[in-house]
Amino acid sequence: MEAKPKRSFKRPFAFPKNCVYRPLRQISNMERNLKLPAERPTYFTLNAPPSLVPAKKYSDISGLPAPYADPHTKLRFANADEYASMQHMPSDIINGYLTVRGYTSAVG
Amino acid sequence: MADRRVLVIDNGSYECRVGWSDSKEPDLRFRNVLTKPRKDRKKEALQQGSSEGAQPAVVEAPAEIQVGNDITNIEAVRAHLKSPFERNVITNWNHQEQIFDYIFTKMGFEGQERVDHPIVLTEALANPNFCRQQMSELLFECYGIKAVSYGIDALYSWEHYQQRRQKISDALLISFGYSTTHVIPVLGGKLQLEHVRRLNVGGYHIITYLFRLMQMKYPVHLNAITISRMEKLVHEHCHVAVDYREELVKWAQMDYYDEHIMKIQLPYNAVTATNALLTAEQKQEKRRELAHRLLEIKNRREREKLREDEQQLFVYNKLRQLYEQQKLEKFERALQQQQIGTLEDLDALIATINSRIKRAQDRAQSAPRPSKQQEKLDKMPKPPAGVSQADWLAELHGKREELLGRKQARQQQRSEQAKRHTHAAQQRMRIISSLAKSEKRRKANGEEEDDGFGMNDNDWDVYKRINRYNDDSDSDADNEQLLEFEKILSHYDANFDVSNSNAQAQTAAENYQLHFGVEDIRVPEILFQPSMIGCSEAGLSELIAFVLKLFTAEEQQRLVEHVYLTGGCAQFKGLKDRLAKELLEMRPFQSKFSIYESDEPSLSAWLGACVHAEEPNFGHSLTTRQDHQEYGSEFFREHRASNLFYPTPKD
Repeated sequence: MEAKPKRSFKRPFAFPKNCVYRPLRQISNMERNLKLPAERPTYFTLNAPPSLVPAKKYSDISGLPAPYADPHTKLRFANADEYASMQHMPSDIINGYLTVRGYTSAVG
Repeated sequence: MADRRVLVIDNGSYECRVGWSDSKEPDLRFRNVLTKPRKDRKKEALQQGSSEGAQPAVVEAPAEIQVGNDITNIEAVRAHLKSPFERNVITNWNHQEQIFDYIFTKMGFEGQERVDHPIVLTEALANPNFCRQQMSELLFECYGIKAVSYGIDALYSWEHYQQRRQKISDALLISFGYSTTHVIPVLGGKLQLEHVRRLNVGGYHIITYLFRLMQMKYPVHLNAITISRMEKLVHEHCHVAVDYREELVKWAQMDYYDEHIMKIQLPYNAVTATNALLTAEQKQEKRRELAHRLLEIKNRREREKLREDEQQLFVYNKLRQLYEQQKLEKFERALQQQQIGTLEDLDALIATINSRIKRAQDRAQSAPRPSKQQEKLDKMPKPPAGVSQADWLAELHGKREELLGRKQARQQQRSEQAKRHTHAAQQRMRIISSLAKSEKRRKANGEEEDDGFGMNDNDWDVYKRINRYNDDSDSDADNEQLLEFEKILSHYDANFDVSNSNAQAQTAAENYQLHFGVEDIRVPEILFQPSMIGCSEAGLSELIAFVLKLFTAEEQQRLVEHVYLTGGCAQFKGLKDRLAKELLEMRPFQSKFSIYESDEPSLSAWLGACVHAEEPNFGHSLTTRQDHQEYGSEFFREHRASNLFYPTPKD
């Protein structure tokens, strides 16, 4: 622990050690354990509901509406040119596009 | 208490704005981030300081931690940036303490005993009690403040809007933040907290999305594509499409693309670029020049050496004469001066210098040695007799094209074979099975039954065809020949370039350009379609519809009559039109609604908080030190723009 620079407007003060950093997930668990009444709003009940509209499909490369998907790489594409460019793509870029879209394969 | 000036802090996850409530605009605005310089850099700064004679203690303090505007080059420390926020909630209190130190130092509290002013501080909507508790403890216990008032930025912004115009009791606020987007219904001047909904997508996601898209589109410029540059692009050039699909269809057309594409020039080093542009001939010329210069330097050095030697020889010869003239005393003294032992040593020295001079003179007179370059040139294949050089080169070009074609065909076949269900793969399987069949038949019979395979050399080609990998002898030989051709061609033909012989010459600067087209609408669209970044939450228009459904039809109508947009991301062009279109689609036929934009999307929260602090009954919304001690650290006083207080149940 390094010494904090001295400032005149501060008083000696320190949080208990386990309170200095608590990720949001932990705070969420804390609140859940309190068993609050169901109708009471908290930060975590205000989350947007999951979308009920089917997600539209766009090409991973160009963003254009994509009627096709390559079964091999799982990338979506809009036309033949994009398909051709996909063939020379290194796998890290393919994976990059997939993770940006949030695609995770069942196999992993 | 009331006569004290109030310090207003709009503590946003992107930017923090601080100022006195009676001023027109915040005195201090900074990115809400901090960074700790690495150890070695700190040491460097220390050494520099001590070498300049300054006291080390003076140097140490500022080198410790940099906050907000103190960070000179934000890109250099991008990986080490820390923020007290997670989403829009403060979770790291060490960092928050650093931020407060920075704020209060900059606001001139250094030298005072405590921060003796009431503070207005913004916090997240439905901020968890735990976080508020920590915040109150920090403010009251560490900085010794007298009173604090917590409020919500969107509500302050709404207050600012009303103060400029008129009181409006019902509204639907949409607050576009850096990490979240809120839909906030207000009925009868009161926040409907239980019906607020938060989409966890904001400016941060937009910027990172563009950043990653650009990095994958231009892997070559990975390092030139920085978050700061992408931020600028988002701020200045992105807009929300009114009809996303329609605009996309337009972009798919080549003409539209060519007309509307924006080209962003990245910085590039002209020197290295020109070097790459030189033709083979110019390169050779440059090399020759360099060799010439080196040779000259060498010659000059040799001449100097020769002159030195001659002078030395002259001195030694004089010594020798002294000896021969029998002036022994003088001779001994001179020998000592020259640090030479005996007469024999002197003779030996004279002999070596003589031979050295002779060698140097010989070298100067003899013809220059043939250079290695020339030897290489001689080894270069020459056009065969009877064929002109141009014809020969054309022939080589043809051969090279043929080889390249063959190579490409092989690659094609290989890539097709790698996948199942292609014609090539099926062909391969058929050959393999037929080969296996004939082998089996032989074994079953027990005796050698020659099917004539291998009689013809071409028979062996089937193995080449079923080979998955391109490492057969054919391609090796081809590659060798290709290299040979390319060597000859690049030697004789200045215009020949191996890498893109058929591509038209592009200027170097163009290679350093980013094409920014669909991205300008694609990136902000994630607010409406979070599925584009793999977020399963409902998009903004769906969310608005969801929130409205929580109210009765009459209340819904009251809400949509004042839809108010605020927050940094509300500055996207076209956002209002888009929302108008979406609302038109979701509202009943011929019903009315109207959308208002904040005058100062990113500043209005701070300005609204000032309005609030200047009101005569502001004192009632202050949580004082006494309250803090009496009701516990999570307690705060509610007011028009605050969260609602729900005490944590005690067990």
